[in-house]
Amino acid sequence: MSQAVQIKRVPEARSKSPLFWLPFGAGGMLFALFGPGLILITGLMAPTGIGIPESFMSYAHARAFAENPLGKLILLAVIALAFWHGAERIFLTLKDMKAGTIPPLKMGTYGVAAAATVLTLIVLLVI
Amino acid sequence: MSERRPYRRPMPSNWWWAPGPYRAYTIRELTGVAIVIYGAVLLAGLISLASGPSSYAGFLAFLKSPFSLLLHLVLLAAVVYHVKTWFETLPKTQPKIIVDGKPVPAEQITKYATMVAAGCSLALILLVMGVAR
Repeated sequence: MSQAVQIKRVPEARSKSPLFWLPFGAGGMLFALFGPGLILITGLMAPTGIGIPESFMSYAHARAFAENPLGKLILLAVIALAFWHGAERIFLTLKDMKAGTIPPLKMGTYGVAAAATVLTLIVLLVI
Repeated sequence: MSERRPYRRPMPSNWWWAPGPYRAYTIRELTGVAIVIYGAVLLAGLISLASGPSSYAGFLAFLKSPFSLLLHLVLLAAVVYHVKTWFETLPKTQPKIIVDGKPVPAEQITKYATMVAAGCSLALILLVMGVAR
């Protein structure tokens, strides 16, 4: 006599990790392609006036850039993706180092990235 | 009571700075910190821009300070290392590219992708130099 075996299908708990891989990958690619150029322009060339006149980052120019819809999009992408990319790297490394339990590590990395993103959005909306 | 005594491989707590691949891994991950610092500098600049001309002047003065110039040199070195490691990882994370029935070797993908990246950064700088006159 055979007994019917009932297989109960338990819905698989889906990992949330892929949600964080997307901005990590997007930020990593953005900074791999344009990172050296961005840092050279805003951090070294424009402040010293080497190759790029200092007026490039003047109040009027920066203001016009931040008020332009495309400029807003660029600023949001660069700032937010920088934070999300770094958050993923720092979180996983601190986890590997067993630097603490998971929830505070997540707050200190993803939480900071989320706060920076919201702050950037607010500033871009009011400017 | 269980008699199980599984072997646990010892892992020193400072494994992440052990010379070799572990240290290379840690340095690669630290480029993430550099990218966050750069994002934070831009965000601070954006906030000062929204607060008005005098506060933005303070941001520009900071950018001209020796501290900031040194910081950006360090950030530049870190992000260049990020470019190198990012495209060394690329062939491992994407499907194989088959040309004439043979997979393109990983070193070639890394080489060409790094060249494209160098071109992107250079094009951005040339564009800005052309626009900002």
